[in-house]
Amino acid sequence: MFFLEATNLHKTYRLGRRNKVYALRGVDMSIESGEMVAIMGPSGCGKSTLMHILGLLHGPDQDLDPPATLIINGNNVTGMSEKDRTKMRASSMGFVFQSFNLVPTLTAAENVALPAIYSGCKRAEASAAASEALEWVGLSEWADHRPTELSGGQQQRVAIARAQVTKPDLLLADEPTGNLDSASTTEVMDLLQRFNTENGQTIVIVTHEAEVGDVCGRVLRMLDGVIADAPAA
Amino acid sequence: MRLVRNLIRRKLRTSLTIIGITVGIWALVVMSSMANKIDSLVDGGSTYFEGKIIVSDASNPAFGLGFTPMPISVSDRIAEVPGVAVALPEVQLLLDPDDTGAGFGLPDFIVGSVAGADQGRETFVLSAARGRLLVEEDEGTDVVVLGADLARKFDRSVGDKLKIRGRDFEIVGLLEPTLTAPDTTAMVPLSAAQSLLSMDAPILARQGIGADQLASQVVVFPDAGVDVAALAKAIEESVEQVQTITGDDFDEAIGSNVAIFNAIILGVALISLVVGGLSVINTMAMSVAERTREIGIKRSIGASRGRIVRELVIESSLIGLTGGVIGVVLGVVVVFIGNEVGRSSGTILFHLTFGTAAFAIVFSTVLGALAGLAPAWTAARLDPVEALRYE
Repeated sequence: MFFLEATNLHKTYRLGRRNKVYALRGVDMSIESGEMVAIMGPSGCGKSTLMHILGLLHGPDQDLDPPATLIINGNNVTGMSEKDRTKMRASSMGFVFQSFNLVPTLTAAENVALPAIYSGCKRAEASAAASEALEWVGLSEWADHRPTELSGGQQQRVAIARAQVTKPDLLLADEPTGNLDSASTTEVMDLLQRFNTENGQTIVIVTHEAEVGDVCGRVLRMLDGVIADAPAA
Repeated sequence: MRLVRNLIRRKLRTSLTIIGITVGIWALVVMSSMANKIDSLVDGGSTYFEGKIIVSDASNPAFGLGFTPMPISVSDRIAEVPGVAVALPEVQLLLDPDDTGAGFGLPDFIVGSVAGADQGRETFVLSAARGRLLVEEDEGTDVVVLGADLARKFDRSVGDKLKIRGRDFEIVGLLEPTLTAPDTTAMVPLSAAQSLLSMDAPILARQGIGADQLASQVVVFPDAGVDVAALAKAIEESVEQVQTITGDDFDEAIGSNVAIFNAIILGVALISLVVGGLSVINTMAMSVAERTREIGIKRSIGASRGRIVRELVIESSLIGLTGGVIGVVLGVVVVFIGNEVGRSSGTILFHLTFGTAAFAIVFSTVLGALAGLAPAWTAARLDPVEALRYE
């Protein structure tokens, strides 16, 4: 039993009335619990689209034969309601983005606490969990600073703390080092690796940087909307 | 706290919006206070006229204020009409003969009647804030009980002298405020009012009509169970040269006019509130557009649609609440200053009640919340992926 199993994922976008973009053309993949996997490929190959589907932000095309399935940690998420998918994003997934995506009006600690609050924790519990998560990424003393007062590397570490605050089973990172210098890249990858090895967290990283791929246990290569390699581990 | 920070972040826009609401609420408070004042004047009149008939000379043009002299003997003839319990002659005249009576509210006037002659039938009971009310034994003396507004206007108290139409009166009492006619009334014994009235109309004296034969209106208290309208008609038929006013006449003539006037006043205030509400919608719509990316972030890390709506609606309610509170405070200031300025001339324009103030604040908060709903709903329905791409 895989931690994450996807079969026949298609995603078609409409551009205007006439044109269609076939972003995914039948992705089959499976990831075992505790794996750290990189998804690599040229721009436009569909890796971001795949990430949005894995992160439950978009659904795959429906009514296909054979039907698209996406099973994450035993939950069939293809038929889930918007409400349940939101709940699942809050409580059992962590997200790290290329451009950090911290809320500018909130302090580092408040940003980190958000997923905990969204998953139903009380304010006090959430802020306790937030200070713990900030400690994991080594930014306790920056807890009361706004994102604009932090360097890019620090902001991304705050974002990682935010992705860890609910101790999710799955962490999805979309080009997490794309906006960082090499020193910060190393810091961020060290952190992700630590969560993978120490906590057994499953991590999926979309990247086009070879060094990032090297750190991961396995690399899936995408081209023209499909996974080029054999899906098995 | 976090929501407050969002408002502070856009200081200029938020404060302009708050000013918009503030002006609306301010207008509502001031206009309602004015309407309240008019209402209480009218209610007072309504209460005063209720269940009694005011008889005055047929030539008297003023509504309910009998200033044209008539012989006091008329009251004896009215008393003979079946159904009349008590016919009480009174003298009314303007406190200041130069007063045109055309100002806002009621003019200041003098009412003279024999204390206790109503035999306890008067339902519009007055009480003294200081000193005492008139008693029957005051007849023949120059004493006066002042209404609350007059006391303030002349800045006199019990024991002071007050010159009324050139004659010194001793103030023996001050009335509790009633928010209606008695506030601007100087109550004197009938004899004193009669002699003031005869000075007003020297032709009467030249014709040999003594001051003690004068009245200007007769207050009729009907027997219990008598139909007031029918009795009024009977009086007009059996006594010449008189007209009657009943409570129904008053309500009909004044009440409906006042209702229209109040509707116009409140309409103006409500229009300004609608404009204020639209500016909240505008602000929230802009704020949503500006924070598209932030909303995308929150949605993607697990914020539900309901939570996004809630946050934005609370934010717009805060705008409404703040505007409401400032508007009410400014309204109170204007009402206070307006009444203080008006007091010296005896014209009290406003009557602000706690209910009006509370309503205004609740109303503007609800208005803010409603104005925030549509933009908030738009925000909640954004595609998180699209919203994240938004720069």
